Amino acid sequence: MRRLRLLPVALVAALALTAGACGGGSSGGGTSSGGRASGGTLTLGATIAPNPWDLRGAGLNGAELQYYEAVYDSLIRLDPNANPTANLATRWEWDATNTVLTLSLRSGVTFTDGSPLDAAAVVTNLLHTKDGTGEAAAALRDVRKAEAVDAGTVRITLSEPDPSFLGNLGQSPGMIASPRAISDGSIKTKPVGSGPYTLSGPGTTVGSQYTFIRNPKYWNAKAFPFDKVVIKVLADQTARENALRSGQVDAAEVAPGRMESLRGAGFNASPVLTGDIEGLYLWDRGGTVCKPLGDVRVRQAINYAFDRATIAKQLGGGFSTPTEQLFHPDSSAYDKSLDKRYPYDPAKAKQLLAQAGYANGFSCDELDFSTLFPAAQAAITQYLSAVGITLTPKSIPVAQILTSLQSAEVPLSYFRLSARRPWDTVRSTIAKDAAWNPYHYSDPEVDRLIADTQRLTGGEQDKAFKSLNKYLVDQAWSATWSVPQTAYALKKSLSVTPEAFMSNPPLYRISPAG
Amino acid sequence: MLSFLIRRAVAGIVLVLVVVTVTFLLLRITGSDPARAAAGQQATAEQVAEKSRELGLDRPLVTQYGDWLSHAVRGDFGTSWFTGDQVGTLLGNELPVTLSVVLVGLVLAAVVSAVAGVAAAVRGGWLDKAVQLTAVVGAAIPSFLVALVLALFVGVRWKLLPATGYVPLTEAPLDWLRSVTMPAVALAILATASMALQIRGSMLDVLEKDFIRTLRSRGLSSRSLLFRHALRNAAPPALTVLALLFIGLLGGSVVVERVFGLSGLGSQATTAASQGDQPIVLGVVVVTVVLVVVVNILLDIARGLLDPKVRVR
Repeated sequence: MRRLRLLPVALVAALALTAGACGGGSSGGGTSSGGRASGGTLTLGATIAPNPWDLRGAGLNGAELQYYEAVYDSLIRLDPNANPTANLATRWEWDATNTVLTLSLRSGVTFTDGSPLDAAAVVTNLLHTKDGTGEAAAALRDVRKAEAVDAGTVRITLSEPDPSFLGNLGQSPGMIASPRAISDGSIKTKPVGSGPYTLSGPGTTVGSQYTFIRNPKYWNAKAFPFDKVVIKVLADQTARENALRSGQVDAAEVAPGRMESLRGAGFNASPVLTGDIEGLYLWDRGGTVCKPLGDVRVRQAINYAFDRATIAKQLGGGFSTPTEQLFHPDSSAYDKSLDKRYPYDPAKAKQLLAQAGYANGFSCDELDFSTLFPAAQAAITQYLSAVGITLTPKSIPVAQILTSLQSAEVPLSYFRLSARRPWDTVRSTIAKDAAWNPYHYSDPEVDRLIADTQRLTGGEQDKAFKSLNKYLVDQAWSATWSVPQTAYALKKSLSVTPEAFMSNPPLYRISPAG
Repeated sequence: MLSFLIRRAVAGIVLVLVVVTVTFLLLRITGSDPARAAAGQQATAEQVAEKSRELGLDRPLVTQYGDWLSHAVRGDFGTSWFTGDQVGTLLGNELPVTLSVVLVGLVLAAVVSAVAGVAAAVRGGWLDKAVQLTAVVGAAIPSFLVALVLALFVGVRWKLLPATGYVPLTEAPLDWLRSVTMPAVALAILATASMALQIRGSMLDVLEKDFIRTLRSRGLSSRSLLFRHALRNAAPPALTVLALLFIGLLGGSVVVERVFGLSGLGSQATTAASQGDQPIVLGVVVVTVVLVVVVNILLDIARGLLDPKVRVR
């Protein structure tokens, strides 16, 4: 009987424990009052912990940027199509050679430590970030000189025209931190900027939760409707969805397959592009190691060999769209009609192989991705063996894959390459010295088309990018398959305007639903 | 007892050193290219080389190790290669999370299994069968499954307990308990099951011993007999199991923490290991090994208190 007496005690304890949940959810674990009206709290579930506060190590990805957007303001504000609009820079002008950019700065802006945000501060930041090792630094690598013409004017000289430059100033490369915090080194642990919020000590636990409170002096408060922003690091997809459903976060990236169910539960959920393009990348398109790849007919045959609709469905769970291009669908280089260049046609593939002198097929080395991406690896084997191409998978330890791909150890492989603005894709994937053109293949026509995109501006430039894209697809530079998607979900009382190239929306794109 | 403890402590320090050294070497020698990973996908060879210089990876391995160790013994585990956060700060934030979950889980397992195990041994009959059956089933259910089901129903559907997140004990004790209850339960199921069987077994053994019969014949109350004599003699083997389970629970917390979105050592370890963030991985290894050593020393003390024979050795 003694034991039975414990039962009521246990019951009371359990009731006490769970009671808080019924009392309006005011308990500390999941306070999330926000979103209903302007001025509340916005709580976001983030896939990753922040990059270093010091912008020298900053990345460019949407999930990383949300942290930075809270504390640092940027020179340029991107519109939903990722076109530059005024922000800290109110006006800008390129010279005739497109290498000298003159920016006029908004006056009267100060950092939260009281120092003024002037031309000298901007110059300090650009050079400091450029000197770093993050993706932001890489985006600034063409900056040759940055100088303060006067307190409100900055002149930036590039070593060559960079069509992505202005757009990049709308992200981490163009974010401005307090020069004082940079020079005394405190920026490494504590961000000081002029942004809409400041990082608050209470409510912040390094590595798991970051609380930002409104900077009362911010010049454009109405662009950031919430008084407080909390970002919780939730690496696990299930945990993010549970947090969203139970009201602990207001918005988060979720699995695209869960959108339907979330909509049913009263959430806004919409698909977004991850920014990657996946497929079979033909690294050795010059045929230095795998000789057949040097023949354009072989590369085209490989493109005809894949049933992209089926592959996209299998790899992306129905949430990937087939593509044959290397460029991001949001970019001006993208041309929908090019995705019909190589319909699934094994007979045609065999015919082209025969014309190229490989009627009996051929074999080459590839990278064994069967542990990391088994479905993709299976697709390659299945479709290529059907047209007589046998690939010998080379096993490489996971940690070495990037290095070995970039040091031209594998002529072709499955891969997912991130693609943003068209010029970024040119610099990272297409140009002769690009990190993801490991065999440094070049073609005079490609060089000419690249030079065009660099020389021209506006609509002419868009056209030049399209021509380059068309040439690359015709020449079958790779055999890309699809554009993988992810999804972003918010509670009903919030609305979001997607921004091109961003898998997670910038903070200023989330607002209370009208 | 004191010299025994000192010997154990020295052995523990040696163990920590060995494990840490091996981990360091494994991480650096496996041929991975940490600078490459830290510099990002789009980095060029020059940028990777620059990153490598920045992280000090271009120095000889022995220098790197010496440098790391000399800082680590002073409690400075360096900074994360990806976020630039102090590893010490991260560990300081994460250790309480993991310890809360594991210790609450352990207490839960100890109490429930002791009650169930003793009841099964003493009462026998259908209760015994029920405990045994439940224990076998409990041992067969993986903790991540329990975690997922709990999170979905208790957390999301019924909203009884927070589905994710952790509240520090110092901030709000009740909310702390609410935030660790589900993870602790998920973690404790397996431990409870195996310990209940262990306690039941040793209780049965002890209850058949001569001294129990003697004590009983001297008219001791059954309560005193059961708790002061039988359980005390049955406890040492259960304690050993408990210490082993503690280590097991630390490992189990990797999965459970992810499901409940807790930033503990486990979720940090998985993220850091998959990214190749070696300073964090090393920090987690140090903390985990130290924990295991400390728990084993505590266990020795507890066994000494329960059983005088141990103290003599």
